[in-house]
Amino acid sequence: MKVTINRWNAVSTWHWDHAQEELCGICRVAFEGTCPTCKYPGDDCPLIIGECKHAFHMHCLLKWLTTESSKGLCPMCRRKFKTATD
Amino acid sequence: MLKIWSMKQQQQQQQKEAAASGDGSVKKKVTAAQIRVQKDLTELSLPSTMKTHFPNPDDLLHFNVTIEPDEGMYQGGKFNFSFTINNSFPHEPPKVKCTQKIYHPNIDLEGNVCLNILREDWKPVLNLYVLYDAMCMNAVLVGLQYLFLEPNAADPLNKEAASDLQHNRENFRRNVRNSMNGGYVGHEKFEKVVNA
Repeated sequence: MKVTINRWNAVSTWHWDHAQEELCGICRVAFEGTCPTCKYPGDDCPLIIGECKHAFHMHCLLKWLTTESSKGLCPMCRRKFKTATD
Repeated sequence: MLKIWSMKQQQQQQQKEAAASGDGSVKKKVTAAQIRVQKDLTELSLPSTMKTHFPNPDDLLHFNVTIEPDEGMYQGGKFNFSFTINNSFPHEPPKVKCTQKIYHPNIDLEGNVCLNILREDWKPVLNLYVLYDAMCMNAVLVGLQYLFLEPNAADPLNKEAASDLQHNRENFRRNVRNSMNGGYVGHEKFEKVVNA
């Protein structure tokens, strides 16, 4: 039997290369979704990962760090939040 | 792939046009706070000693919580708290007030609550509700209930009550029972919080 392909559709999925958790601890939306202020997931609403390995939507974390009460600490472990270098 | 990008541009274009025309058809925006509260609510699993009540079911940002401790010195009482969540949640903690006048070292006569995680130790990953997660063991409601099981004299809002607790535990226990029955402690009359 010979099959002739007339048409085909490619489908793909993606996820961030960060396996530990699935949800942003601040807004509790999936990392692959967006923070509450964004409309489009992906490069428009990236993740930020700290030296402590805790990850958040970048926008969520930056908003937290601008509040006085954050004292620059990671919302998960309360260590000084420094962006991981690698 | 290319199509996705062009769709995105199209949408942005449409948004701009809608904004420019300003025809008042702008949908009421759901705030980040509302989204987060909604999520916390769906994960809600309260022990039988705590109940939530929503005076307006459409308004998830204002609600009441009732705590009926089943052990400790405040056993048998029914304590009401109002929760107010502003739009900076989860970056700012919920505002919690006791709506009754009660005798408690960590709650003043106006109902302000001294609980570390509602003040200096708040962090946005804290859940409003009970989440049996190592990171979230200090969830707000558990913390609130804990105040009734283990009143804390080290961090007082009601200094008289704290000093009673520290120096004369039996006397403090009597004062608690008295106040819960609507009696006096010193010159202050307290609200009756036990069922008749």
